[in-house]
Amino acid sequence: MKKMKNSVVIKGNKYGIIVMLDKNLPFDELKKEVADKFKASSQFFGNSSMGVTFEGRFLNNDEIRELLDIISANSEINVVCVVDNDKEREAYFKKSVEEHLSDLSNNDGQFYRGTLRSGQVIESESSIIILGDVNPGAKVVSSGNVIILGSLKGTVYAGVSGEATSFVVALEMQPMQIRIGDYIARASDDNNNNKKSKKAKPETKIAFVEDGNIYIEPLNKEVLNDIHF
Amino acid sequence: MSEVIVVTSGKGGVGKTTTTANVGTGLAMLNKKVVLIDTDIGLRNLDVVMGLENRIVYNLVDVVKGNCRAKQAMIKDKRYPNLFLLPCAQAGDKNSVSPEEMKKLTDELREEFDYIILDCPAGIEQGFKNAIAGADRAIVVTMPEVSAIRDADRIIGLLEANEKKRADLVVNRIRMDMVKRGEMMSIDDVVEILAIDLIGAVPDDENIVIATNNGEPLVGQDSLAGQAYMNICKRILGEEVPLLDLNKKQGLFSKLFKRS
Repeated sequence: MKKMKNSVVIKGNKYGIIVMLDKNLPFDELKKEVADKFKASSQFFGNSSMGVTFEGRFLNNDEIRELLDIISANSEINVVCVVDNDKEREAYFKKSVEEHLSDLSNNDGQFYRGTLRSGQVIESESSIIILGDVNPGAKVVSSGNVIILGSLKGTVYAGVSGEATSFVVALEMQPMQIRIGDYIARASDDNNNNKKSKKAKPETKIAFVEDGNIYIEPLNKEVLNDIHF
Repeated sequence: MSEVIVVTSGKGGVGKTTTTANVGTGLAMLNKKVVLIDTDIGLRNLDVVMGLENRIVYNLVDVVKGNCRAKQAMIKDKRYPNLFLLPCAQAGDKNSVSPEEMKKLTDELREEFDYIILDCPAGIEQGFKNAIAGADRAIVVTMPEVSAIRDADRIIGLLEANEKKRADLVVNRIRMDMVKRGEMMSIDDVVEILAIDLIGAVPDDENIVIATNNGEPLVGQDSLAGQAYMNICKRILGEEVPLLDLNKKQGLFSKLFKRS
């Protein structure tokens, strides 16, 4: 039983899934294993589109094709590409995918006018500029940057597909939570911040990632010059 | 030119029913013909606050289902002849009525009344959808407390999504002493977050509890809350009334003065 479990392992990464294959199992048995594995996890993956990498065993083109057929027969995954685990090529793919993503997120923006209220969610493939407030309980999700010309009191996810270079700007920065790429920062549990912030004049601030932390700083020319995207 | 107004809040206990009763009574005092509709099916309240519980024969569900005519179900108020109440059923639940049926009913009542005021149940489910279906505008009641404001915010979002173009805010149950100590949000703070027009601010007043228990709305009386509600009524009619100074203490002196 244990051996069966280990002969095919599915792992995920940011760009898709890696299928680890047993080196010694006969190919026909392996096919059955792959079919079982994908059938069992088809609900988990749903009908998502992703790239697939096969690892642990050398496969010729026919074998790859056969395995792909098995995957599509046993799950609803839409395999958009097969990536081989050649390190150089992987780096190349990674770079091009990321470049594409950052093109998408940084050269494009979408405007939203109005106050986002509790329970409302706005999602965008590109950067987003909000002309209004983001109230507590509201959520902004963007693959790029988020700029709020109003006060931010809700939750923002910038660079939702992993772009740690994304940033968040708000005229008044009192977020519930900010996520940039894979990093999360949340508001302090300090209850008195309501009173304090009232006295302090609201100031335009920017949130960005540096050394694995999210920093929130007043927006000035210096910081603006430091932004690279 | 009749108007259908829904009084809503999202959260329970912030004073929807009290506001409905007082605004309705106030408008009737200002010589408007008013009907109040309780849409909180299963949790009947408005009739108690109005002191009309013992007069109920038919209810909202009976009207909608055609068991009786709207005229038969409406209860004439004991104080003002141009004020009516359409109570809701104590049996059944919110699904006993559909938004379409509510809209039809309110449209029917428009012909006879100047103001149709709907008391919305707490929550955002079927009861809320029923209540807002036929409304032209909304009065959103909230109190200076984070959870109430959060819910009011959600409600305003839903009203916008349902194309209710006008929503006005009533900030209820303010305690000026706490605001002064910085322990409660001020009216300005609340308006800043919710970003809609303020139509009234009502202080937390123990007279309200007394009035509710007696089944006598206190609108128009000397108490601060009574004045605040009357001001809301005037603003509904389009008058420009300055906001009441809630800092004013209702001391012995001012009481003596008013009596004389």
